[in-house]
Amino acid sequence: MAQIGSFALLLALALSAYSFVAGLLALLRADGRAERLGETARRAGIAAFGVVFLAAVVLVIAAFQDDFSIAYIFHHSNRDLPAPYKFATLWSGQEGSLLFWSLLLSAYGLVLRLRHKTDSRLFAHASVIIAAVQVFFLLLLNFAAHPFAIMQGSLPEDGNGLNPLLQYPEMVIHPPMLYLGYVGFTVPFAFALSALVMRYPGEKWIHITRRWTMVTWGFLTCGVFLGAHWAYSVLGWGGYWGWDPVENASLLPWLTGTAFLHSVMMQEKRGMLKVWNMWLIFATFMLSIFGTFLTRSGVVSSVHAFAQSSIGTWFVVFLTIIFLVCGVFYVMNREHLRSEHKLESLVSRESSFLFNNLLFLVACFAVLWGTLFPILSEWVQGHKITVGPPFFNRVMIPVALLLLLLTAVGPLLCWRKTSIESLKRNFLWPSLGALAIALFLMVTPVSWGPPFAMRPWREISSLYSLMAIALSALVAFTVISEFIRGGRVISHHTGQNLVASMIRLAHRNTRRYGGYIVHFGVIVIIIGFAGAAFNQDREKEMGFGDKMMIGPYTLVCRSYTQEDKPNYGSEWAIIDVFKGDRQIDTLYPERRFFKASQQMNTRPTIHSTANEDLYLVYEGQNEDSGRPIIKAHLNPLVMWIWVGVWIMIAGTVIALIPNAAAAVRVPAPVRVQAEPVGAGD
Amino acid sequence: MTLLLCSLITLAVLFYVFYLPGKLQLGPEKTRLAYLRERKEAVYENLRDLNFEYRAGKFPESDYQSMKSSLEEEAAAILAEIARLERAPEAVRGRKGVRI
Repeated sequence: MAQIGSFALLLALALSAYSFVAGLLALLRADGRAERLGETARRAGIAAFGVVFLAAVVLVIAAFQDDFSIAYIFHHSNRDLPAPYKFATLWSGQEGSLLFWSLLLSAYGLVLRLRHKTDSRLFAHASVIIAAVQVFFLLLLNFAAHPFAIMQGSLPEDGNGLNPLLQYPEMVIHPPMLYLGYVGFTVPFAFALSALVMRYPGEKWIHITRRWTMVTWGFLTCGVFLGAHWAYSVLGWGGYWGWDPVENASLLPWLTGTAFLHSVMMQEKRGMLKVWNMWLIFATFMLSIFGTFLTRSGVVSSVHAFAQSSIGTWFVVFLTIIFLVCGVFYVMNREHLRSEHKLESLVSRESSFLFNNLLFLVACFAVLWGTLFPILSEWVQGHKITVGPPFFNRVMIPVALLLLLLTAVGPLLCWRKTSIESLKRNFLWPSLGALAIALFLMVTPVSWGPPFAMRPWREISSLYSLMAIALSALVAFTVISEFIRGGRVISHHTGQNLVASMIRLAHRNTRRYGGYIVHFGVIVIIIGFAGAAFNQDREKEMGFGDKMMIGPYTLVCRSYTQEDKPNYGSEWAIIDVFKGDRQIDTLYPERRFFKASQQMNTRPTIHSTANEDLYLVYEGQNEDSGRPIIKAHLNPLVMWIWVGVWIMIAGTVIALIPNAAAAVRVPAPVRVQAEPVGAGD
Repeated sequence: MTLLLCSLITLAVLFYVFYLPGKLQLGPEKTRLAYLRERKEAVYENLRDLNFEYRAGKFPESDYQSMKSSLEEEAAAILAEIARLERAPEAVRGRKGVRI
């Protein structure tokens, strides 16, 4: 079994190397044989998918067959591991996850190579770049992190088992989502670099990669929030985001990728920001590789960094090569990226995109700095200085609030310049609405509880929460006004009712209105984040019949019990939850002892409502008294975060749907004698 | 058995990669004309958006007229260059067409 896997990886490396070299030669040669050579390169890239897929299948089969002769299976699986986690073994450890990276990359490459007729020269360039990236990962797999390495000495009876933290249903889908996002950015990167290398005229490469980028961004968004939900549901500290280095690593390409999705519109519409967009997508790809490096190299201490290894050097070398290649081609062909228009006014859609991008980059730099600071401080001073959540919150909250303001303002500004009258026309009612909501939140009585009764003059967290909710309301009003105004125009023309007209409107320009729905999802998430300012927690030793009060809830300990399962033994508390005199739920916070890895792990239990989450953790027993300890967290508005993610996904899916044909006819422009149009060169 | 399987996989892959029946042809290089047609579509789309937003009441008449005439000038310049290239002899078009 291991021999077939090893062979498949070697063959995949040979095919990818051939695809790269032959593809490159075909692009450089101008004779009649170039086409045939290029076609063999394309086919080698397609075949590489087949053999990498074979290697992945072999590894999964080995996990299901408990083949502990393969060191990777021994370290990441055990006989009693449930079937879904045996499948997830593929991406549970370093070698497997690199194989998974390679599999996804070859799958993306397969789709790209099958669709080569769209623009065969551009696709041939992109195929060569993807083959080069694939060669790097296959070199790693074959020579530094071999997933089919054989165990030395006598065969063990059972494996070490999967990390208990990873034995959670979401862990079966979270890494694939995140990796689909990370790996997917290779495609727009490959097209962008191809366009630069070829001095490709126009923005068609952006049209071609638009859906790739959105799909990739959607996967990364899902991956980031699945990770947050996993942390919330498994780690037992009551939060969903701790600014952990590996969490940050997933956020970095998301930030630059989001900036790219916005600024690329300026290039498509106005032929502006070409250099900026090129470097944004380069940076996004490099940050994706950097994220994989952080997760897999063990260079940072993190609850998510599931590996300690020496592959870091490989990544540093690879990142350096990418940077040099991008830099060299940029210097050689920068004239090709000349902007076709200049910024005409600071109050315009263009400037709002520009500020939006600057804020995303500030956020990206702050997160990068905070993440790398412990490593940099160790190099400079010899000891690590950890940067915790206070630093990130201090920087990121104001940046997020400004971004929220731009999310509200941007769509209502005109391209080129916006007059005062336009501003008044578009902003008066949304601003008054947002102001009314802010005032309402401030004057409501304390007895209403969070998120009402905000007193921003008392503490900064309350001020931030109020601003977040008020700005979210402003975004919501502007999004709604965009839908209503557009819907009215359609309704006027077709006679349909407003709702049907708004659906038709969204179908006519799915990218724009899907984008607005994504913005709506973002504000729902932001409202969820704002709830964190009002978190409460209590901890108490609870024997049978003991009570604990938190917020409007009374918790009564009914009993404790135990159970033994093949993979783990567990003990849990049975807690009745009362609101007033009425029992509303029974919760079962749990502790599990995983036999194969000999590790203890808590499993919180959550009573979730739109208003708040009651989050209980069974923390174990007091060593002196032997009494069980229960910790309760009351986290307002957390459900909004998960609902917001679903809205974002829905918006992304809508944005991916092709537009319906436009009904509005545009009169032909007047023909004039004019200067030639600027076009890259 | 393993050796046989690996040999079969290798043969299948080699056959797929190197057996190329029929004539192959890469698409033509993108010309300036093709680029201009893309730009024309982009400007027309901008005009459609502008018209729609004006009808939706997002900006006053004066702003609309100013933005519309600016976009129309841009479109006209593109159309003029397309017309010039289409009228030009094949040799000139070819020379200008490659690697703009």
